[in-house]
Amino acid sequence: MDRELTIWLLIFAVGALTYTARLSFIALFAHREMPPLMAQALKHVPVAMVTAIVVPAVVFTMPGELRLDVGNAKLIAALVAGAVAAWRQSAVMTIAVGMIVLWSLRYVVG
Amino acid sequence: MAPMMLGVIPFGMVCGVGAIAAGASPIAALAMSMIMFSGAAQIVAVQLLAAGAPFAVILLSCLVVSLRLVMYSAAMAPYLRPLDHRWRALLSFVLTDQAFAGTLQRFQSSGDVRANASYFLGSGALLWVIWQLATLAGILAGQIIPASWQLEFVVPLCFLAVLVPLLRDRIAILVFTVATVAVIALDAMPLRLSMVCGGLLGIAAGVLGDKMAAKRG
Repeated sequence: MDRELTIWLLIFAVGALTYTARLSFIALFAHREMPPLMAQALKHVPVAMVTAIVVPAVVFTMPGELRLDVGNAKLIAALVAGAVAAWRQSAVMTIAVGMIVLWSLRYVVG
Repeated sequence: MAPMMLGVIPFGMVCGVGAIAAGASPIAALAMSMIMFSGAAQIVAVQLLAAGAPFAVILLSCLVVSLRLVMYSAAMAPYLRPLDHRWRALLSFVLTDQAFAGTLQRFQSSGDVRANASYFLGSGALLWVIWQLATLAGILAGQIIPASWQLEFVVPLCFLAVLVPLLRDRIAILVFTVATVAVIALDAMPLRLSMVCGGLLGIAAGVLGDKMAAKRG
């Protein structure tokens, strides 16, 4: 499928999805309580999903090529940025430091 | 509300940069922010598009990250019950992490439903406008800055800024560890399903961890 068309279909499909999620208990199931197991599982969604998205983007330099050594600039940049995020909870600083480390390793060190 | 609203600017910019890096046209990149209006879903969609995941897998992953909104919806629902359908439909559209955090306390402490709903709608609408402007800035940056700068790496960095402060207790660290090991171990799965499966295994580990912690007292 054409990439631009795929992206537009995705925009409307995900838009419908996020709106349905927002409407869920406010309008669709307005008179029901959330099942307890669902409430418990939802608590862990942010950490689990964000981890599952971040980790592959950092540890694989190429599709299928796992690199857990110091030669992986993205891994080093992410570790430093993660330390910054733990120290100061600032998205701007985390992103800035991460990019500076990545660029330094790529162009300054080689 | 003000610091929270300004706090979304870097995330909106990341959505703009990421969408351009994933091959979206500037109009589509902006439409993403206007219609999806969810940083988490947008960043996940963009990251998976860039990774070459098929449509259904992207949709499934966005579904999982959007479950958070279901939780907010359930928490807000009792306070919005007195309002008619139109109000509820409108307020639902602007229900975001920031609007939720910024208005829930107001609903809890004051019984004036109309005034609270107006505040919710006003701050939600303002947040929507700020989100579009931030995305636009990101789209411009994404078009001007050459690909060799690897600007798409701001997407995982932005997620990292969200993730690290969440790793406060042992259960959160368990969820992180299980999701990390699973997503690496399952990388060979077809259709980039490793991300959804890794995430779901992390969630399952968290539920089990909670159960065990409760049993121990």
